[in-house]
Amino acid sequence: MDLLNLPVKLQARGLTMRYGANEILGGVSFDAKSGEFLSILGPSGCGKTTVLGILVGLLKPESGSVFKDGADITGVHPSKRGMGIVFQNYALFQNMTVLGNVEYALRIKKETRGQSREIAASIIERVGLKEHMHKKPHRLSGGQQQRVAVARTLAMGPDVVLLDEPMSALDAATRLQMREELIDIKDTFGTTMIYVTHDQEEAFALSDRVIVMETGKISQFDTPENIICNPANEYVRDFVVRNIELKLKSLTKYINNKI
Amino acid sequence: MTATVNKIQTSIKSLLTVFLVVAVILPLAKMLALVTYSDLGAVLTSPRLWRAVKNSVSVSAAASFIAISTAMLAAFCVSRCDIRNRRIFNVMAALPMLIPSVSHGMGLIIMFGRNGVLTNILGIEGSLYGFWGIAAGSVFYSFPLAYLMLENILRYEDTSPYEAAEVLGISCARQFMSITLPYMRKPLASVIFAVFTMIVTDYGVPLTIGGRYVTLPVMMYEEVVGLLKFGSGSVIGALLLIPAAVSFIFDSFTHDIGNQSYLAHTRRLKVSRVINTMARIYCGIICVTALLPVLSFLFLAFVRKYPWDMSLTLYNVTNSFRRGAGTYMKNSLIIALCVATSGVIMSYLAAYLTARSEGSSSRALHFASITSIAVPGIVLGIAYVLLFRTTFLYGTMGILILVNLTHFFASPYLMAYNSLNKVNRNLEAVGMTLGVGRWRIIRDVIVPLTASTIVEMWSYFFINSMMTISAVAFLSNVRTRPLSMMIPSFEANMQFESAAFVSLLILAVNVTMKGLMGIINGILRRRRELC
Repeated sequence: MDLLNLPVKLQARGLTMRYGANEILGGVSFDAKSGEFLSILGPSGCGKTTVLGILVGLLKPESGSVFKDGADITGVHPSKRGMGIVFQNYALFQNMTVLGNVEYALRIKKETRGQSREIAASIIERVGLKEHMHKKPHRLSGGQQQRVAVARTLAMGPDVVLLDEPMSALDAATRLQMREELIDIKDTFGTTMIYVTHDQEEAFALSDRVIVMETGKISQFDTPENIICNPANEYVRDFVVRNIELKLKSLTKYINNKI
Repeated sequence: MTATVNKIQTSIKSLLTVFLVVAVILPLAKMLALVTYSDLGAVLTSPRLWRAVKNSVSVSAAASFIAISTAMLAAFCVSRCDIRNRRIFNVMAALPMLIPSVSHGMGLIIMFGRNGVLTNILGIEGSLYGFWGIAAGSVFYSFPLAYLMLENILRYEDTSPYEAAEVLGISCARQFMSITLPYMRKPLASVIFAVFTMIVTDYGVPLTIGGRYVTLPVMMYEEVVGLLKFGSGSVIGALLLIPAAVSFIFDSFTHDIGNQSYLAHTRRLKVSRVINTMARIYCGIICVTALLPVLSFLFLAFVRKYPWDMSLTLYNVTNSFRRGAGTYMKNSLIIALCVATSGVIMSYLAAYLTARSEGSSSRALHFASITSIAVPGIVLGIAYVLLFRTTFLYGTMGILILVNLTHFFASPYLMAYNSLNKVNRNLEAVGMTLGVGRWRIIRDVIVPLTASTIVEMWSYFFINSMMTISAVAFLSNVRTRPLSMMIPSFEANMQFESAAFVSLLILAVNVTMKGLMGIINGILRRRRELC
């Protein structure tokens, strides 16, 4: 996919945020192209989740704006932004079945009330949970629960989906599988995905482009290849590149031993 | 990520805070403001007061010690040994909690009084009235609280240190000294404070069985109700605030009330056969002892005039109803239902707002919600008399509902606070992005998820309103009197048989309610596990 030719979907312009005396964000700007898989990578406390909250409208930035398809949406209600969010712990409605979770918001929305079950069922089928439709979340595996959370969001037909460290509760094998599934979902539904993580490998494996964040600022915003080859500063080198080098070293050792 | 707080929430928060301030802090302030120097001087220099202080402290200390040590042993047996029918034991041990404290005093008189059932069977000599009578009645009355608190503490104790100690070959005694005791220290202190406060501020037991041994609450009751001396009543009221206030401050310093949602590794530890058998016998004895008062009520309620006329009769039933038990029962039910329903709505709402949004207004509301735990019922009662005497509320059912609501607010509030803290914090945010408002999420998701807590809160309000006499004793009149108030008045007329019947009536209502709540919770559990 050639990113250069895609239209811009989402723009963040000079986002700042503070809690009391603590500066959380000190002017964050970036853009996401339509259909892009964009990761925000950084250690905990760097402000990446705050960026996500501002994009979806749950938090109000102190200054700066968010544009979607060219229009300023900074003051627009979260439900009117055409964006969905999947939280770290999924925040599923534990008292409802899978179908209930996906259908719930549709039933409340005027336009979709009539066909809510139809829409929900088709989305559940598309994320591969058809046989679990009538189970409650606590009977599902972590990976399945995550798919329910994604399906619930997709049911509202967003063109941007934000994911807040959605893999952190999954085991290694499931994580690998979920990576593929996320890409699949993105391609089938044609959504732009913004993915927040502290896991370098995950960010590089999934994304078209990666934003590396350090305490409220963007250190580097580029494709995975460029970040690895040309880290912008010491921080990126330390946090990202060195980690990958370490992994590479042990991998080489392993291969050498095999040979 | 908590969704932004809107105006409606802020205004509900301030409304609730103002309500609690008016219902708890204002009456107390009024009471303390009415204390004059002359009253203070008169009360503090009277030898009667200091005798009452001494009596109160010594009898409460003795009763707390006995109640806590027996409860501790029982809690150890239940949590560490293999007790069959653990649930039945828990129900039995909590049974005395469903009858008013006056009944406990009376139960002892019936069993061990001059012509008591057991006195006659066993041929015991000596008087029950006074120190040991109060101590024994208070033990009966406070045992369930001590047991439930301690059992809860021990149940959630992390067992992995014991397993590690076992592997290292550390002896049982050493394990107790270096693992159990340090773990128990703070919670045990809370239990001691809670039990002591409960006993020292209770006047039901000493009123019935104290004889000439006057304790502070009884003295206060006599000053206010008997002599209409509100000034000295207020001074005693202020004195009675001290233990509860100390325990309240202790609790808020040692641990954050309500945030005890840690996960411990709990596994049943191995115990020898001998100890198991002894534990079972001990629990059996506790069960029988807890049942004794109830059994004696059952016996006495259907006897004409114990011990002179032992013929079975329904006279006490008809006597109670002729004297208005029906009307008073209706009063009690109206009060309990109103308190439970409005109490659940208000405390749940308050807990929702404090548990799920941040800021200084949340902290203020949290504090206002738990302060009532530090105010003993009788103190609240007299404070209400002083503040509301001249208002339209006085002498109505409304003031009884209000005083009970305030009196019992803190515990259900904390139940809701705890369970709402455990509900996923992002639900409202998810709702917002899906176009579902906060109140709808509360109704459709959060309330269903916390339904069993709501049931528990409701029954707490209901049961306590059914049996309380402490606050309502000062505020009820012939028209609004609740059923529990019949017990002391029957007793004053030596009609123990009818008093026993009324106690049974209250017990029956409360047991029915408990059973009903158990069934509802069972249905909720099954529904939760369905699908």
